[in-house]
Amino acid sequence: MNYTFQFGVALDRLPDLLQGAILTLELGLLGFWGGALLGLLLASLKTYGGPLLRPLANAYVTFFTNTPALIQIYFIFWGLPDVGIVLSAFNSVLIGLTLNTGAYLCEIMRAGFLSVRRPELEAAETLGFSRWQQIWHVIVPHIAKTIYPALANYAVVLMLGTSMAMIFGVEELSGRAYNIASENYRHLEMFAIVAGIYVVLTLGASLLLALVGRVAFRVKAKVF
Amino acid sequence: MEWFLGQLARFYAPENLGLLWQSIGMTIALTFIGVGVGFVLAIVVAIVRQSPGWGMLPFRIAAIGFVEIFRRIPFLVVTYLVLFLIAAFVKGASLFLIAIVAICIYATAYLSEIIRGGIESVPRQQVEAATVMNFTRWQTLWHVIFPQSIPVILPPAVAFMIAFIKDTSLVSQIGVFELSFRGKELVNQGMSGLFVFGMIAVIYFCLSYPLTRFGRWLEIRLATSRSQGPERQLR
Repeated sequence: MNYTFQFGVALDRLPDLLQGAILTLELGLLGFWGGALLGLLLASLKTYGGPLLRPLANAYVTFFTNTPALIQIYFIFWGLPDVGIVLSAFNSVLIGLTLNTGAYLCEIMRAGFLSVRRPELEAAETLGFSRWQQIWHVIVPHIAKTIYPALANYAVVLMLGTSMAMIFGVEELSGRAYNIASENYRHLEMFAIVAGIYVVLTLGASLLLALVGRVAFRVKAKVF
Repeated sequence: MEWFLGQLARFYAPENLGLLWQSIGMTIALTFIGVGVGFVLAIVVAIVRQSPGWGMLPFRIAAIGFVEIFRRIPFLVVTYLVLFLIAAFVKGASLFLIAIVAICIYATAYLSEIIRGGIESVPRQQVEAATVMNFTRWQTLWHVIFPQSIPVILPPAVAFMIAFIKDTSLVSQIGVFELSFRGKELVNQGMSGLFVFGMIAVIYFCLSYPLTRFGRWLEIRLATSRSQGPERQLR
């Protein structure tokens, strides 16, 4: 009924939490780049894969986008040991998030592939562009501009998604908060502080990504 | 193969079936109630955010703050915050209620952005025409803005709801008896994790995939009704 907030005790552990935040960023970045590579591969297979590989890529994307990431990681962490593959909690989470991210990013990248229209390539050919010049000056800028906002958005979503790692005992931001809270019993304060750190982190990431997008790809992105 | 059949028989054993149904029902209930209530609240938040005048300024700031903050906190952290907040002030609140509150908060924040996008997609001239014809603010909203923004709002809102079927798996962490919680329970009872989580994934897939197809159908259908040309259909 009457709860006394004690933020002082909780704030003392801020350095520990910030260490956790570094792990969150690490997990997010590794997962994103791994997922981006996987997504690029899947999107290429889906677009140019032919009758054999295309259904395979399709099945992968459909399955992974229609099941929870949590269950996928459960499967890796608690299922795979049955067949003799034992992975650490961090690796399980990273692999699970990468596989999941790959499926979502595939869809984004495919939309980018489709955005390059035939007449543009023909125009480039008429102007005497070589194959590499076409790729570098026409295809890549076009795709990058189309998919950048969606990719940047997904990077932030993934950063929030990494909080799932706490379930497996990984000491990233929320996991560390939970463990500290079970020492000092200030659960509410710890999670309020963690929520604040997440807001600051993702806001910073969004601003940075919007800036990079504007400078590198001339994308006018909205942060809010 | 024998191993697989043994596990299958155990997973779908008559004494387990009741609990399995119950957990599936819980997942569906959490999604539909949470997102449903969230949708209604999101409409309110979106309207408040669009409201004019100085008198509404504090409410506008509150609405924007709510949306911007809760869209930047992981759902798991929101769940824990709600759990500890309610546990600190209300004794003996049910876990189901706590989960619903967390889902509502999260859904409200996300859906209100989707609804705002829908409202903003209505051309300004429409609103001006309504003002000229002496419509009140509510009449404009009800007769002009809503009918035109629904085709824009519905597809992403349905997509959000489908995504939430999967995200509800996270509330198993606070002990709500839904599908992934049931899976963990079965593994703790000594079943193979490989089989159980594979099966649970298949069940989630069966819940989510038909709705995904429905969402895609809805999107194409609403897009053509707004006559955006054949280009959109091709995708």
